[in-house]
Amino acid sequence: MKELSLNILDIAKNSVKAKAKLIEIVIDEKDGWRRLTIRDDGCGMPPEMVATVTDPFTTSRTTRPVGMGLPLLKLAAEQTGGTLSVKSSQGDDHGTEVTATFAMDHLDCVPVGDYAGTMVTLIQGSPEIDFSFTYRREGGEINLETAQMREILGDVPLDTPEVLAWVYKSLTAPEQP
Amino acid sequence: MTVQAMAEALRLTPLCVPEPDREVTGGYTGDLLSWVMGNAQSGDAWITIMSNDNVIAVAVLTDVACVILSEGVTLDERLLALAEKKSVNVFSTELSSFAVGAKAAALL
Repeated sequence: MKELSLNILDIAKNSVKAKAKLIEIVIDEKDGWRRLTIRDDGCGMPPEMVATVTDPFTTSRTTRPVGMGLPLLKLAAEQTGGTLSVKSSQGDDHGTEVTATFAMDHLDCVPVGDYAGTMVTLIQGSPEIDFSFTYRREGGEINLETAQMREILGDVPLDTPEVLAWVYKSLTAPEQP
Repeated sequence: MTVQAMAEALRLTPLCVPEPDREVTGGYTGDLLSWVMGNAQSGDAWITIMSNDNVIAVAVLTDVACVILSEGVTLDERLLALAEKKSVNVFSTELSSFAVGAKAAALL
């Protein structure tokens, strides 16, 4: 992917498919490293699937023999000297957590890109799911919690065009929303 | 033109050729695998400097006729076995992606 935001979209869609109620996305930049964490409370995966999930010939889809979301994120991370890890549980605290690290000064490190567009796409596609988005970097932190938005908006659905426009604007505004 | 005929004309080194009679109908050059996945066409000769499991996977997904590893890149034993298992034709050349692409384009 040319941008990390496209990887995020790809991985978060897995969480949607896993019937998550809450999907947390955190980008944390510190000391030259970018750490991306995508955590959900979906159905989780059995250990044997976790073990092979970064193998490009594994997929939860039946329409093609290979699934490329996690393999490509792993490649993107490792190309910079970073790593990818996947933790998943099907027990009481079921869910999946994907963590990828990137050395930001590496030439092959892709930019974060249009994270606001990614969040709008995710909310638009699954307005019933709660998303938590945090982008922490030098000079400030951006945060969006759809659960908080719901409290304020009441019966107004999150995929209302005006709401989505506000999400995009608030995520790209230089100050805190 | 078959994969075999193209390889001979371009003097490519065969690494794994399970389907030598596969027809080459076009070409694509690219190293960003997600991009290649969306743009390479079935029957293309795909030129890349990348060599990992994902290259074999993308070759399967896009149904390219063959992969041409440029700039002296090759596959290790494990990747060769994977390419063989997935029936992916793979060649290698010392030429740059630009040079082998230009020669391939002249042939097609």
